[in-house]
Amino acid sequence: MKALYKKELMQLLNSPVGYSVPIVFALFLGYLFMKDVFVIGSASLKPFFSVAPWLLFILIPALSMRSISEEKRSNTIEVLMTLPLSESTIVLSKLLSIFTLTAITLALTLSVPLVLGFISSLYIPEIIIGYIGLLLLSLLYLSFSLYISSRVSNQIASFSISTIILFLMTTLSSDFLANLFPKEVQDILLFGSPILHLDNFVKGVVDFRSLSYFILLIALFFKLTVTELQKRT
Amino acid sequence: MIDISHVYKRFGLKIAVSDLSFKVQQGDILGFVGPNGAGKTTTMRLITGYLKPTEGKIKIFNENPIINRLSLLPRIGYLPENNPLPGDMTVKEYLSFIAEIKKETNLEKIMEELHVDDVYEKKIEQLSRGYKQRVGLTSALCGKPDILLLDEPTSGLDPIEQDVIKDLIKKLAKKRIVIFSTHILSEIEDVATRVLIINRGTLLFDGVKPKGKGSVETLFKKLIKKS
Repeated sequence: MKALYKKELMQLLNSPVGYSVPIVFALFLGYLFMKDVFVIGSASLKPFFSVAPWLLFILIPALSMRSISEEKRSNTIEVLMTLPLSESTIVLSKLLSIFTLTAITLALTLSVPLVLGFISSLYIPEIIIGYIGLLLLSLLYLSFSLYISSRVSNQIASFSISTIILFLMTTLSSDFLANLFPKEVQDILLFGSPILHLDNFVKGVVDFRSLSYFILLIALFFKLTVTELQKRT
Repeated sequence: MIDISHVYKRFGLKIAVSDLSFKVQQGDILGFVGPNGAGKTTTMRLITGYLKPTEGKIKIFNENPIINRLSLLPRIGYLPENNPLPGDMTVKEYLSFIAEIKKETNLEKIMEELHVDDVYEKKIEQLSRGYKQRVGLTSALCGKPDILLLDEPTSGLDPIEQDVIKDLIKKLAKKRIVIFSTHILSEIEDVATRVLIINRGTLLFDGVKPKGKGSVETLFKKLIKKS
């Protein structure tokens, strides 16, 4: 698995998307945060954690769109699938390589709490738990995007489908959408929204239900991707 | 060692392979010949386990290539049709990756033999078709496979490069099973010890290569016309 992980990460880092998108993401997020600090005068990490998911649902499909769909289009998937590697190893290597790049991107945004630390006092465990929440959300978006990438052989289609569905998932918790439905439906929609579960982490709480939500969905999309590769039709 | 028994492969309504049966033993250089779309590539993919047969049985060293793929694949070297390679990687990066997966410790020796070391630092997308084919062959030879499946290995190569690949196939077949597909009949006459002729997924001929110049071509044309 190490060899495939290394190859995937190297290919990502050598591609224009791999090195430009994370930098743009970190700069943009940093700008949005700094604007709040210096223009509005709000010295809190809450705006940062509420904006991040809206950028992640673009960043992650952009990083993962090539992953399997491009292998299918160029037929390099045939070479990969005839190497002594299990389908789970292939999917896990791809998942971890993109996750590594996402984690590096999120690490670049650590400048935000560092700056904030100079101008106000911060509660470090809360920030760490918030970042764990963002990493789990990234993994969820990633496992989903990878599944979409395994279903289509066009990387633009993979990006578009993933982004649209992740956008809908993210907006499930918005007041605008929730208010369109009766209370019972609103509750279900809210529970399905990753933002609601991220909010628990942002508050500095490791909620068992939220942790289970992330782990179960990540495992589900991982399994669906493996099954897709196992079809061999 | 390879036992294909009454295998069918359908893609929706299209029948790619129909009631295909043959056996291959060590030392055989099996020339798999047929027109475009005859079912050669599908058969290769079935042997590697990349595709599942719709019906029938495939046994490689008495094992099922789908169920036991992880134990069988290290014993199979495969050069797929059109030799798909990641163009954004260098030859060094790609072959080191393949060698690590297949646990090949003598990569330098294989590269030397196939003259790939000349382009070791180059990006694959910058290579000529001939060199790309050599990279694909080096990859197939990593891990000392017992079975070598080469899908149109000389496709698009100039006559000199074709001769190099043909000599290499003969040399490699001494220690292993080699199955190569082609629609160039002279290649079969030059290299194969046994011939399989396939058309529209159906096997038309399985036997020792007929002797005499042009004999494979005569047989091929006769069978294709009849089918």
